[in-house]
Amino acid sequence: MEDIVPALKVEDLRKTYSNGLLALDGVSLEIQAGRFFGLLGPNGAGKTTLINSVVSLARPDSGRVEVFGRDAHREFREARRMIGVSPQELNLDKFLTVEEVLLYHAGYYGVEKRKAKERAEELLERFGLVGKRKDRVNTLSGGMKRRIMFARALMHDPEVLFLDEPTAGVDIELRYSLWEYIRELNRGGLTILLTTHYLEEAEELCEEIALIDDGRIAAQDTSAGLKARYDARSVEEVYLKVMGHVADQ
Amino acid sequence: MLLTNRPFRTLLSREILRFTRIWIQTIVPPLLTSLLYLVVFGVALGTRIREVDGVPYLEYILPGVALMSLITGSHMNSSWSVFDAKRERYIDELLISPMSDLQIALAYSLGGTLRGLIMGLGVFVVGIPFVGVTVEHPGLLLLIGVLSSFTFASLGTMVGAMATRIDHISFLTNVVIQPLAFLGGVFYSVEMLPGFLRVATLFDPIFHMVDAARYATLRTSDLNPYPTLGVVFLLAALAFAGAWWAINRGPNLRY
Repeated sequence: MEDIVPALKVEDLRKTYSNGLLALDGVSLEIQAGRFFGLLGPNGAGKTTLINSVVSLARPDSGRVEVFGRDAHREFREARRMIGVSPQELNLDKFLTVEEVLLYHAGYYGVEKRKAKERAEELLERFGLVGKRKDRVNTLSGGMKRRIMFARALMHDPEVLFLDEPTAGVDIELRYSLWEYIRELNRGGLTILLTTHYLEEAEELCEEIALIDDGRIAAQDTSAGLKARYDARSVEEVYLKVMGHVADQ
Repeated sequence: MLLTNRPFRTLLSREILRFTRIWIQTIVPPLLTSLLYLVVFGVALGTRIREVDGVPYLEYILPGVALMSLITGSHMNSSWSVFDAKRERYIDELLISPMSDLQIALAYSLGGTLRGLIMGLGVFVVGIPFVGVTVEHPGLLLLIGVLSSFTFASLGTMVGAMATRIDHISFLTNVVIQPLAFLGGVFYSVEMLPGFLRVATLFDPIFHMVDAARYATLRTSDLNPYPTLGVVFLLAALAFAGAWWAINRGPNLRY
């Protein structure tokens, strides 16, 4: 088991923003291939900074990041090709139609045209976007945009999927269908790193959970392991205990 | 390798798609402006000026008006495209893709270059009913057009990547480029200016481009066009180095 290359290996990552804020204070993390991994923490704890540091949207001060053994800095092409990101903020190219968003994304990742078309068909179908394929993305609702972001992240067939608050502002029906699909992808071998505020969902979905606070990993284990260690009945209770609060009951 | 690489080609084609999709904003108004210059300066005022350096006034201003349009089109294209992508964060999709910053900067700059060339060519086409255009050195004209367009498209990429507010973009257009274009000898020969203004004009890069374009079109110019080509080549290289640096280091791109 130890010989298997982890999907993501982060070593002693530090990041200070230009305003002096220490966002990551020596974070180390290892996510095994095929895992469903949850990263939980309050706003400003460093979740998004950690994801951004892996995909080089943030420049860490020091530390190392490897994606399936590839250095995220020195071998950035190989490393980035293996990662799909559905970011927290909606960021779709407003000049493009739904279908073009998917096809151009595939092109940016070097996916061959014919393969990209097949994949786009499959994802348009899967996310109920077939009827909207020719619509410009800036004319669509928030929930629809969220689905497109999801489909876009999967267009280049990544090995690891980063989902940063993917269901924020999404109605309940869509949220359940997205979770169902993510689970299916994970069963198919896709490694998933999820950040969310919905603790009960993290408990239900994630095999392993890390709690991050003030730029440091405060606790990490399976949800059962965490509950046992903190003598808690739910991940929510663990969360409150770790973050320095006392659970109500 | 760099140019045939699929991610790079995809971004370049996205840049072309952008300006062709919104052609009513990107292509028609600047062509109309150029047409107005030709009508007002050439047809109306031109009857009083008649000839400059032995060339009918309308013919004399045509290469400069085309170059002015090319410069405006090229820098506006890339500065707005990059700034929009940054403001609405869809540039992140590129920054986390397997593309290098060099490829991103080049694709944005070449997209702008192409738009500039279309604008420049458009002015020549629009000008035909007014002037019987014959281009003396088409190869040289194309070269000066490509280099000028690339220079200003790269400058646009740089400013778009550095800008944190819309005013920064309009500053480039209204306070830097437009005065330089108007004082760049588009509508007059530098020989017509008093001594100190003539010397000052020599520091205006647009003057050198306009002068070389005029030589290529009409075989008349204030300076020898060949050293000018060297200057423009250097400017293009410097501007692109700036674009590359800005995509890599610009504020609010990578934190």
